Amino acid sequence: MTDDIRSGVNRRNLLKLTAVAGVVAGTGLLAARTAAAEDGLSLKGKRIGISTAGTDHFFDLQAYNAQIEEVKRLGGEPIAVDASRNDGKLVSQLQTLIAQKPDAIVQLLGTLSVIDPWLKKAREADIPVFTIDVGSVNSINNSTSDNWGIGKDLALQLVSDIGGEGNIVVFNGFYGVTPCAIRYDQLVNVVKYFPKVQIVQPELRDVIPNTVQDAFTQITAILAKYPEKGSIKAIWSAWDIPQLGATQALAAAGRTEIRTYGVDGSPEVLQLVADPNSPAAADVAQQPAELGRVAIRNVARYLAGETLPRETYVPALLANKQNVGEVSRKLGIG
Amino acid sequence: MLVDAPYIPASALEIEAQKAVEPGRPGPAFGRRLATLALRGGALAVFVGVLVVFSVTAPFFLTIGNIGNVLGQSAIAGVLAIGLTIVIIAGGSNVVTGGIDLSLAANMGLSAAVYASLAQAGHGDGVAIAGALGTGLAIGAVNAAAVTLAGIVPLLATLAVMNVVAGLELVLTQNTVVPASSEFLSALSAGGPFGIPVLAYVLLGFTLVVAAIVQYTPLGLRLYAVGAFPDAARAAGLPVKSFVAGSFLTSGLCGGLAGILSVSYLSGSTTGAGDMLLPVVVTALLGTVFSRRLVPTVTGTLLSALFVGFLINGFQLLNISSTLVSGVQGLLILLVVSATTLLGRKENA
Repeated sequence: MTDDIRSGVNRRNLLKLTAVAGVVAGTGLLAARTAAAEDGLSLKGKRIGISTAGTDHFFDLQAYNAQIEEVKRLGGEPIAVDASRNDGKLVSQLQTLIAQKPDAIVQLLGTLSVIDPWLKKAREADIPVFTIDVGSVNSINNSTSDNWGIGKDLALQLVSDIGGEGNIVVFNGFYGVTPCAIRYDQLVNVVKYFPKVQIVQPELRDVIPNTVQDAFTQITAILAKYPEKGSIKAIWSAWDIPQLGATQALAAAGRTEIRTYGVDGSPEVLQLVADPNSPAAADVAQQPAELGRVAIRNVARYLAGETLPRETYVPALLANKQNVGEVSRKLGIG
Repeated sequence: MLVDAPYIPASALEIEAQKAVEPGRPGPAFGRRLATLALRGGALAVFVGVLVVFSVTAPFFLTIGNIGNVLGQSAIAGVLAIGLTIVIIAGGSNVVTGGIDLSLAANMGLSAAVYASLAQAGHGDGVAIAGALGTGLAIGAVNAAAVTLAGIVPLLATLAVMNVVAGLELVLTQNTVVPASSEFLSALSAGGPFGIPVLAYVLLGFTLVVAAIVQYTPLGLRLYAVGAFPDAARAAGLPVKSFVAGSFLTSGLCGGLAGILSVSYLSGSTTGAGDMLLPVVVTALLGTVFSRRLVPTVTGTLLSALFVGFLINGFQLLNISSTLVSGVQGLLILLVVSATTLLGRKENA
């Protein structure tokens, strides 16, 4: 018991440490960015294929637009295609993109098993492939948030908020998407050491599209199944659009004692976190626009002959009830 | 059979031909003929015009590889739209009460899910192919029973079946992506001779076979007769219900085939098959303008599928937002529907 408490405290300290580390890294990155602008990076005369799984979420829209702007800023020509969350369209666009023989292709998100054969074909056609948030062996460099850190930070915040015991409801519909899988695995890793924390079975499946309405419906059903207060302590999802629906469902049912957790830093969810009466407890905010810019700068570096690491990590910022204002300012929201 | 053989073409097909050979026939028929010619010629002219513009302006457009890509990319929608075309031919082309199969896209999704699940469970390609085609055929059989035995309007019957099928897919896959890979699937999604994807050959071969059956055999003529003049067909002793049921079975099979193509193209079964429904319906309806007599035909549907495919491809090559494609598509549909409605009204007047 004492051990449990002590380890909980340690974890909480650890959490603070990682938050500090994140801020420090973030500042470091900002400095790096100004330096990059003076680096003499250029994409002059280069055609860069930019393919995204969709632009219907804050995260991918920001990253997508930032990529296009960065290519233009460095003097290149972006060929940008948006698959609107349709896998068939995504594959067709990649196929056509390969036929266009651009100087590089940057793939933003997408289910690995669907896109990987086509990233391989691009590589075989001697087109360098870069990715954002896709861990593919066919990509030269993957720009991503540190999803292990994100998953761990979110899980520790959740476990410490609920005092290390209680039932948590989990949305796990996108285990096929690498970042979601990592975050989920980290949750499981943390929960493993808190025997009084139980993940409610069966896990829920979040869906695209109609994510918010669907999460609302599913959570409403769960609340009906667990009517006593305290029978559910928290709701976790690997991104924050299901969190949005879940939070609305909790508010509608008057079950605001349950806390919700998610990832991505969508402005509407950060607003909920900022509202002291809202059940939204924490949202780990990635820096999508920064991810997009970093990916494009990596392309420029590679084309200039530099060797790149396998992955470039852009720090994420955990926003909770205490620091949400600060995080929002950092992201340039609100 | 021998008795009705000369009768059917006369009722279903030769009326138009007769109109065409009577020169200078005054009145609505002449106007209709002119309008038909303009619409049909206009559609083909637009298609050719679009191809020419893209060939001149879009780099890489006029390469064998790119044209092959478009053919391959159109394969799944094309097979589904051809299945739908057969149902429309047999059920009549009235959009509300005529033949339609709204379950096709969901059918493809479930068939693909069955294929991928069987493959993941360690079964070979043979079992998985049989599973996918069997699934498609079973869905077709349910549609056929609902329409011919229970007498439900196809629009409603297939809408209901669509929901059941989509639900089954959710149950089977839990709304997740089920990856699948095998030598057969890789071969299907690979490039074939002359750098043209295998899927392109599949689409062309499939169209050729179905078009030959529907447009050049007595069976096909009867199919048109059943759809356009059901009373006359019945009077001539044609088993109208069997033809309609057969059309749903065929479209079900097309759904299963499209499912297999989709598994190879997307390296597994993915969510969101339902998104295909409207594009497929649009393709089949648009196909009408690419036929000589403004009726649904297999080749017309193929042209329509390729037209949409080339538009999307050309827009991407020109670096124009693909959102414009649906606008162009919608505009064309509006044109087709209003033109055919106007023509029909003239004929009745």
